[in-house]
Amino acid sequence: MQLPDINDTIAAQATPPGAGAIAVIRLSGPRAFAAAASFLSPAPKAPVHAAARMLSVHDGGRLVDKVVALFFHGPASYTGQDTVEISCHGSPYIIRTIMNLAVRAGARPAGPGEFTLRAFLAGKLDLAQAEGVAELISAGSAGAHLAAITQVEGSLSQKVRAAKAGLVGLLSELEARLDDSYEEIPALRLKDFSRRAAAARKVIAGLAGSFEAGRGIREGCKVVIAGAPNAGKSSLLNALLGRDRAMVSPEAGTTRDTLEDSLEIDGFSVLFTDTAGLNARAASRLEREGMRRTAAAIARADAVILVRDGSIRGTASDALAQKETAAMAPGARLIRVLAKADLPLRRKPVAGELPVSAKTGTGLPRLTAALIAGQKKIFKDGAQAVVTSARHFAALSEAAQELGKLQELLARKDPPAELAAERLRAALADLGGILGETTPEEVLAGIFSSFCVGK
Amino acid sequence: MADFNYPAAFDVIVIGGGHAGCEAALASARLGASTLLLTQDLDTLAQMSCNPSIGGVGKGQLVREVDALGGQMGRAADASALSSQTLNTSKGAAVRSPRAQCDKKMYQAAMKLAVERAPGLLAVQDEAAEILTRAGRACGVRTARGTRYAAGAVVVTAGTFMRGLIHIGLDTFRGGRYNHPPSDLLSKSLRGLGFRLGRLKTGTPMRLLARGIDFTRCERQAPNSPPVPFSHFTGKITNPQLPCWITRTSARTAEVIRGALHNSPLYSGKINSTGPRYCPSIEDKVVKFPHHGAHHLFLEPEGFNTDEYYVNGLSTSLPEATQLEIVRSVPGLEKAEIVRAGYAIEYDYSDPAQLDYTLQTRVLPGLFMAGQVNGTTGYEEAAAQGLIAGANAALLAQGKELIVLRRDEAYIGVMIDDLVSKGVDEPYRMFTSRAEYRLLLRADNADLRLAPRALALGLLPKNLEKSFTAYRAAVDALLAGKKPKALPRGPWKLAAARFTAATEKTYAMYIERSRKEAERLKKFEHLRIPEDFDYAAARALPNEARHKLQRHRPGTLAQAGRVPGVTPADVQLLWVLLEKRRRGTV
Repeated sequence: MQLPDINDTIAAQATPPGAGAIAVIRLSGPRAFAAAASFLSPAPKAPVHAAARMLSVHDGGRLVDKVVALFFHGPASYTGQDTVEISCHGSPYIIRTIMNLAVRAGARPAGPGEFTLRAFLAGKLDLAQAEGVAELISAGSAGAHLAAITQVEGSLSQKVRAAKAGLVGLLSELEARLDDSYEEIPALRLKDFSRRAAAARKVIAGLAGSFEAGRGIREGCKVVIAGAPNAGKSSLLNALLGRDRAMVSPEAGTTRDTLEDSLEIDGFSVLFTDTAGLNARAASRLEREGMRRTAAAIARADAVILVRDGSIRGTASDALAQKETAAMAPGARLIRVLAKADLPLRRKPVAGELPVSAKTGTGLPRLTAALIAGQKKIFKDGAQAVVTSARHFAALSEAAQELGKLQELLARKDPPAELAAERLRAALADLGGILGETTPEEVLAGIFSSFCVGK
Repeated sequence: MADFNYPAAFDVIVIGGGHAGCEAALASARLGASTLLLTQDLDTLAQMSCNPSIGGVGKGQLVREVDALGGQMGRAADASALSSQTLNTSKGAAVRSPRAQCDKKMYQAAMKLAVERAPGLLAVQDEAAEILTRAGRACGVRTARGTRYAAGAVVVTAGTFMRGLIHIGLDTFRGGRYNHPPSDLLSKSLRGLGFRLGRLKTGTPMRLLARGIDFTRCERQAPNSPPVPFSHFTGKITNPQLPCWITRTSARTAEVIRGALHNSPLYSGKINSTGPRYCPSIEDKVVKFPHHGAHHLFLEPEGFNTDEYYVNGLSTSLPEATQLEIVRSVPGLEKAEIVRAGYAIEYDYSDPAQLDYTLQTRVLPGLFMAGQVNGTTGYEEAAAQGLIAGANAALLAQGKELIVLRRDEAYIGVMIDDLVSKGVDEPYRMFTSRAEYRLLLRADNADLRLAPRALALGLLPKNLEKSFTAYRAAVDALLAGKKPKALPRGPWKLAAARFTAATEKTYAMYIERSRKEAERLKKFEHLRIPEDFDYAAARALPNEARHKLQRHRPGTLAQAGRVPGVTPADVQLLWVLLEKRRRGTV
């Protein structure tokens, strides 16, 4: 049964997923104030109803963001419960960090429609609005993105279904022996059983592990634009966005800090980070700090656009930039761009390097296509199951944990079958959060198809 | 046929005197309702038509629950036990189950006497022919002899008798059990009232005479020593205990069966109705599990005063000549004689999705159904339903609130919930796998779970209250690590308290989680869906869910979630609609 508890504290991003200038994270439930106070400073002791406060979010002493927090005392709130709304900057990283902090403080990531459901139960919505819960339950975002996510989740549920079938098989073997009144069924082949249980755990843990990749799909692909000073990174960003987001000048080092903005390409969200140029002869402390941030951004990126100025010969800074990309996360993609293609070419492109002109637009379509190629591939072949929802992630992680405990039980001398079954049942119940309940009938079907059970 | 109106009205009439009927009538009478039990034959009250045993894995827990609710089955089994066994002793306490081979005649005699001596209960030999109604409610029964009995509520426990048809080979004849006439009139009456009836099939093996069995070639299965009673109300089992015997089919057995399948009513297409998967006929086993070289057979004595043996594992409806060949292909049975042939029986059952969770039918208020007529199989399943239906019929007649047991309270709750929420497509048998709270629903704690309710209702006599309260206090003390006080004289003993406390401790971690889960779900168990909820108008629900819910009409939100094909999202939405309705905004 997957009816949500309405008496615990939930947290979720209230604004649409993907990048926006401002995002709102909402907490609702009896522990909403306490949870928010655990990461907001100065910690609001007795928050005034509906008054906005400017506060800081800290994660282990590190400043994450300056936010505006609104506290609503139930029942005078959207959900009728104590509610905190935190407006932060729309960076997926910040959003994610705040969500993590809320969860660490005891909130649970809300399922789709849960805030609306609570609002409805508190008598805050009318029927038409409440019926919208049905759509909220099935829908995430809109358009191509939704279709894509649906497909990814479809292939996820296929994988989960396969894993579940394996668990039902294992459980049937235990249950058949527990329910065998005449003790006719030969004893369990423990070694083989343990091996299969371990394999199932691995698959499920692997799916849970894909959450990182899935987050990229939900929140957008993070693309870092890096290169030597004055290579044309900011101009490229502005050209990609179609508006002047970054300040540009012919002077090297105009961009001192990282700068973020997002773009929707074919329904896929791409989040760009423009970075300070990597200068081999960095002089000022400020410049070195900028470069440190660039390196950090590269390490977090899903893809890095390495920009070289095609109108000049190679420099020591180009070599440094090339070296810095080694810090890219495994699996992240490197896209090479030879900028300023409108000017006479002064160096030889390396293999795969795209000539692009921010001025004339040459090469931009090819670049944008290359940026979303990775995401598109995930959706198209459908072979790659990716977990995109925190709820599914939690369910899979818990199932993997139960199966870990099952393995501990199986390692005992005389493994207690009814307890091993209990672990498998719990793991199946967790997977039920994704696929719906496992009924005893499924298990019995497993028993009867493989065992000849007497009266 | 002379019509005769019986001069007094009863509170409750129970139709049928099998395992469901006897428990129903006794429970009704215990609650102080004047009760009539109608049976075709008083000599076959509580007859064990198939195997000579009570209990088993899952079933033994049901018997313990019946006992905790003041029922008779455990006591009758103890009085007639000839071979007591605790199953799953090598496994944990949660799945340990009692079973006893019983002397069939002694079992019947014990039950018949209990029925005869129950104050307020009258058992009469006559066949129920028609359910009488007034203003859309059941109000009595007309019998085949033409007597009309009036009642406040009626319980149907027709077993396999409604339009029963027996098959041996390709021969068929009408009967509710071998040599007992079927009950065709009742089936017709129910159809006329608008009940949806279907057909199910079950079977029984042949019986052999001891004289032809070479026991030296069989493995001896020793009974428990000392025998362990089912009931806390049985001081001690005093009957001598007999062994059972184990042998197995041979390659020749499979050969004989495969050669005779064209004469099998199951495989020639003569029987289309579904039989139980878990109690397959030997022809089914051979066909479906060809890789199993041999199948175990258990030779079980049918009583102390008979030499008949029941051949557990050889249920069949093949022709008699083939049955003899099969028997004689088994080591130890080469010279055995069949004294009763095995057979299959097809019968009408009433779709249990037409019931509510009290076992009252939705089709006709005041009419309850229990036992095999609801699509179950097994004496224990029947008895447990009988007890609930009988008690609820009495409570209804008395204008009191009916009882419903939850899935986390009792196997009985699991069974009734399954029947009502899901219906059946084969005869339903209890398994511990069906219980999601298996570690909570144990044989050892049945009294702790259910006796308080039985005492409050009057199913258990008030004078037991002191003994039970002390028993419960002893378990609590032991759980808290304290020394329990000595118990007053009564059925509950300190040894049982110690066993339960020790078991609870072993399972503590798991039980805690189960309890929390049950607690969480309980909220939804209490969210009732009104009888008249209009699913057709709930257009926010997807089509499939709407149809399924319309058909099963779950009584609570939690039950809605268990209807196959209904997703968690559907339930969430249904909840919204219910809340809205409750708040009067629809």
